[in-house]
Amino acid sequence: MAETAIWNFRQLAHHELDGFGGIGEGMSIQIAKDGRRILWLAHESAPKNFTAVDVSDPRAPKIVARRDLPQSHMRSNSLETVGDIMAVAYQTTHQGLQPAGFELFDISEPENPRSITFFDCSGPNSRGVHQLWFADGEYIHMSSGAADFRPTHPKDDQFYRIIDVRNPSKPVEVGRWWLPGTREGDSAPPPVRHPENADTGFRPHNTNVYPERPDRAYLGYIDGGLVTLDIADKAHPKMVARWDYHPPYFGFTHTVVPFFDRGLYIVSDECTRTEGADWPKLVWIVDGRDETNPVPISTCPLPPLESYMRPGARYGAHNLYENLPKPNAWKSDRIVLATYFNGGLRAYDTSNPYQPAEIGYFVPEPPARAPSGAIQINDVFVDERQIVYTVDRHAGGLYTLEMDF
Amino acid sequence: MGPQSPFAGREALPFGRRQRRARGPRLPVIAVTGFLGSGKTTLIRALLARPEGANTAIVVNEFGEIGIDQALLRASSDATVLLGNGCLCCNLRTDLQETLRALFADRSRGAVPSFERVIIETSGLADPAPVLQTFATDRALGREFHLQSLVTLVDAVAGESNLKRMAEARKQVALADRIIVTKGDLAGADATRRLVEQIAALTAAPVEIAVNGAVAPAFLLDEPSAPGRRFDLGGTAHTHDLDGIESFALTFDAPLPWGAFEQAMAVLTALRGPDLLRVKGILAVAECRGPVVVHAVQHVAHPPVELEDWPDADRRSRLVFVTRGLSREPVAQLLAAIGAVAAAAPGGS
Repeated sequence: MAETAIWNFRQLAHHELDGFGGIGEGMSIQIAKDGRRILWLAHESAPKNFTAVDVSDPRAPKIVARRDLPQSHMRSNSLETVGDIMAVAYQTTHQGLQPAGFELFDISEPENPRSITFFDCSGPNSRGVHQLWFADGEYIHMSSGAADFRPTHPKDDQFYRIIDVRNPSKPVEVGRWWLPGTREGDSAPPPVRHPENADTGFRPHNTNVYPERPDRAYLGYIDGGLVTLDIADKAHPKMVARWDYHPPYFGFTHTVVPFFDRGLYIVSDECTRTEGADWPKLVWIVDGRDETNPVPISTCPLPPLESYMRPGARYGAHNLYENLPKPNAWKSDRIVLATYFNGGLRAYDTSNPYQPAEIGYFVPEPPARAPSGAIQINDVFVDERQIVYTVDRHAGGLYTLEMDF
Repeated sequence: MGPQSPFAGREALPFGRRQRRARGPRLPVIAVTGFLGSGKTTLIRALLARPEGANTAIVVNEFGEIGIDQALLRASSDATVLLGNGCLCCNLRTDLQETLRALFADRSRGAVPSFERVIIETSGLADPAPVLQTFATDRALGREFHLQSLVTLVDAVAGESNLKRMAEARKQVALADRIIVTKGDLAGADATRRLVEQIAALTAAPVEIAVNGAVAPAFLLDEPSAPGRRFDLGGTAHTHDLDGIESFALTFDAPLPWGAFEQAMAVLTALRGPDLLRVKGILAVAECRGPVVVHAVQHVAHPPVELEDWPDADRRSRLVFVTRGLSREPVAQLLAAIGAVAAAAPGGS
């Protein structure tokens, strides 16, 4: 499968980002004061922090700004923008290192992002922030460690934190939640570990909050499954439900996207191992009509493992398009767009949620500099013009597409 | 999954998600018909040589017919050969349905390269009606494939005579979405013009004259626009031929209640199904925000598709009928009568 496989998408452009084409899970659109549409991208790993690309003409993307990380032992991976403020996550390779936390930037001049503040989350047991959600301009919801958090198991070093950034120069933590038993001193017993070769930790990955239910947080809790929280009182989040399907499945629940009008949750796993060692990693359709009792009803169909398994490369689910509650983001409560590493970007129609139907895919040819010789499509964003942006994890950079289904 | 589904959401979508076009996400199929020697193979080969023809799967009766240059072959199996240009060519197996099912499955599991359209070269004498029916229902191929257009080739040298003598030739023309006249250079301008006039008496489908066996790829590949554009004044474009094959269009100014339309078509199908060679249309349906595309072949109706928007400024319902021995008047009266009954029915009962 060395050639580009494309169905019901139209490729508009490909930009390898000048040799630094490894992009993580942060993709956010800013409309600059001069009207330019800027796509901010968080890099997957050092040495680059973030890159800003002018995508006003999606057929001719242009880099307008780029920043390096201060240390090689860290990564940004995740970022979000609201207006002219950008929040960038910083996670270190090991606990106890710095800088670990998030940084707020003033991006009113996209060519010249200026730091507003750095919120420190470092500590002897912390790697900082892996992922952050910043949609309303007021609160950051994130997966982070903290100086005062001592986990019962070193792999459970991140938890859910809510940070008030209404004064961007003085962010303040207003609430936090962790799976009972994962912090030392908890009365609940620690959770039963997954097998040693598949223990990826009881900690949140994505922490989504939407204006349709501002009192709810939807967490992909990695080895803990799906977790929904009542955050009406941000200081005291309470668990509403947890759906944990592993074992027998390998862990790493990644993202939960509610389709509010239809009573559904779309839930993705992350494939974290190569050669199919954690196959299958899936996108699940979950009946969420009774929020206290989520019931899985189907999964999005995937080509068999042999189709896309390559040495040194991942093939399985990862990120979803998350219906970002922002004006410059597309919304759909029927179409699922999901990234599958070597399986590329795939689109599904969930009109019949018991039988989601594949309606398109985009599997680009392997990037010239791909370390595994395979494409590893990592994340996807869709703007309100219905232009699709998707990125490669290691080398391919940015692809712009039109949906044609 | 209809609006009664617990997951339907607040917005009523009686025919499922609104689509950008009639095919929705399904793979488009272009069926090429025409008598032996009309130039089907030449036309398809010319398309494959163009960039627009990339990512096409061709289904033929015999590999020999398409005349594949051996130098283009990259790999082969019993049933499928890979061509340059990202295309593949596939032998028709026992039947078209089985062939396309196997092709779709092979594509899904990555056993053949990804393709984004299928072109079927039918055998010279084929009646196109069974091919049209194959794509009509979910139980057949209608879930994965959409018959985008039936393209009929008529060669300017033998076409005039064939159309006079052979009922199948006339049927191929009457049912077609597009007509391509080939070999005009051999027949000469006058003969070609006469043939085009002869074709226009049988169908209102667009006609293109091939040059060196080829046409602009868009004529072959683009989705046909809304039906009835050229004869939406109804009776004035009424055509008929020796076999009683007629084509006519009906338009309706007011939106149609779906239930009434469905009943009218059910009555028509029950009484005259075999003579409804093809019915296609775009309807303003009272219950829907977008227009609804309908398509039926004899007794088989495709599932309706609601579009996101109208293809042009005309918001009237338009239906095109190709029939045998069934003229416009009774069909118009039936639809009008049922429409009138529906309109007179008390609301909310």
